[in-house]
Amino acid sequence: MLSLSKAEKSYIQAGFLASPPSRADGRTLLDFRSVALETGIAPLANGSARLNIGRNTHGGGGGTEVVAAAKLEVESIDEDSDGRDGGRIMCTVSCSPSAYPYLASGALDDLQADLTSLLHQTLSHASLHPRNLGILQNKKSWLLNLDVLVLSDAGNVIDAIFMASRAALWDTHVPRTRGVEYKARKGVKGAEGGKGDMDVDEEVQSGFDTRVIPKATDFELPDYWDEGEVLDGRDRWPIGVTLNLESPAHFLDATAQEEAAAPLKLLLVFSFQDAGAAVIQGMRMLGPGELTSSNLKDLIKAGETYARDLFTALNAKLKDEDVRRNQKARERFELHR
Amino acid sequence: MQGSRVEILNEGGFRSDGRKQYELRDMTIDLAQQGQADGSVVVTHGLTQVMVSVFGPREAKMRSQTIHDRANINVEVNVAAFSTGDRRKRARGDKRILELAATIKSTFEPVVQTNLYPRSQIDVFVQVLQQDGGLLQACVNATTLALVNAGIPLLDFVCAVTGGVHSTSPLLDLTLLEENDLPNVTVAVMPKTGKVTLVTMETRLHVDRFEEIFRLAGEAGKIIHGEMKNAVRSRTTALVTAMGSAPRVGGGDTADKDGDDRMNEY
Repeated sequence: MLSLSKAEKSYIQAGFLASPPSRADGRTLLDFRSVALETGIAPLANGSARLNIGRNTHGGGGGTEVVAAAKLEVESIDEDSDGRDGGRIMCTVSCSPSAYPYLASGALDDLQADLTSLLHQTLSHASLHPRNLGILQNKKSWLLNLDVLVLSDAGNVIDAIFMASRAALWDTHVPRTRGVEYKARKGVKGAEGGKGDMDVDEEVQSGFDTRVIPKATDFELPDYWDEGEVLDGRDRWPIGVTLNLESPAHFLDATAQEEAAAPLKLLLVFSFQDAGAAVIQGMRMLGPGELTSSNLKDLIKAGETYARDLFTALNAKLKDEDVRRNQKARERFELHR
Repeated sequence: MQGSRVEILNEGGFRSDGRKQYELRDMTIDLAQQGQADGSVVVTHGLTQVMVSVFGPREAKMRSQTIHDRANINVEVNVAAFSTGDRRKRARGDKRILELAATIKSTFEPVVQTNLYPRSQIDVFVQVLQQDGGLLQACVNATTLALVNAGIPLLDFVCAVTGGVHSTSPLLDLTLLEENDLPNVTVAVMPKTGKVTLVTMETRLHVDRFEEIFRLAGEAGKIIHGEMKNAVRSRTTALVTAMGSAPRVGGGDTADKDGDDRMNEY
């Protein structure tokens, strides 16, 4: 996005290839800037998170800031609507024009569309699908809308988007529903009249009939104020890590200037299902350049290590956030004792 | 699953969120820097949260929009899909949003001293994060503060507030619930002179009631001005102190005796 002069570009590139490698802010090649995360920032959403990479300390601004919010809505499953049994996920990324002040609105729309398709294709895949998004089998299900808003971009926005999405989905609670069946009232005039005219055999429930046919036609929320149960598949939501390539080196968490100087990137999205097993959920090569397949293999191996570290750190912070918010609620209610 | 009916104003004089008739919602102003903006602010009125970033005056993106003798003010509004109770994805070309942007632009055109920056552009990007009534009010207040934060010369602050009437009682600073039920008007004033730069009303209100609520909203604008001035002053003081160029108080300040050399000591 940023336009740098050739001299600046070559200076930054030489920094990566020097030994020891040097970067403008003194980080090593694999150091991330400080990441600030807060969950539950959009009280009207079912799950939300705000993530900032590289914010200046001491009341600062700047850095890459991303807000993600997950909102559930009910969908009926029939031929006209897009609803699917078991629910579905839709992801959208929108970029605030204040994040890209030099982009025309057309280019901003293109960027939004790119990021949206990247996020949606990765997160809506069947292997990550949460199991508790259905309400009534073949009748109603939850549509989970994940909206990501990029408020400012100081480099490494894709990693920020994936981290914020994971945090928002971790924070999402699905309201508990209960199926409801409607029965005609006994003693209605019409029914009695009908019976009087003809001898109708009453429907007898056969003992051999062991089918369980769900008769619920609608659902209700047993407790309006209950947040609900946690969205299934918390551990499966993936982490993205972008390896910026400045052959033969690669580095993580590029600032905007570093991205302009080293435009070739490899994005790897990993999911850590059970401890140990890593699955690649997505991979993209971005920018101009080429990679040999042996290079690619090495990069994927390195990327898995970086992603695992990110995953562990993010999980620790998410658990902390859960405790902090439950703690606050508990303290508030303690005062009213 | 409906709860009990919510009363707009009960016999004790309390509204649905516990406020009195003329009480304004809690207002927070955060002037910390956002991204690369020249001036930015996050303003909340109760549960309505709006972030405004200002860029400029700078070279216009599109030459065709430049004006030869003044700066062009460009306002873009983006409403987050998760800002309301039901998620609604609003396209950027949505008529409601364009109307909001046009209203903000026409409110600030006479206030910003655009004649000082011919052929340039001032970009105002409004991002709505949460909505609970008083959206235009929050946007106008936030835009004022962001412009002040960016150092763009204004004739005066512009302070906006909403007002409504419940049978015969006027109410100030309405929440979403109240806005949907009552006739309401948004008024923006320039506090020094008391001049009004914006009055909009989309509901029907009897002309006898209008005068009172219009006057009250104007006065409430001055209260909001006080809040805004305090926020700007404390932010500026913090910045100046951080830069180390705060004027040293002469004489009794012992900490300074051994401090930096002063020019007039030479």
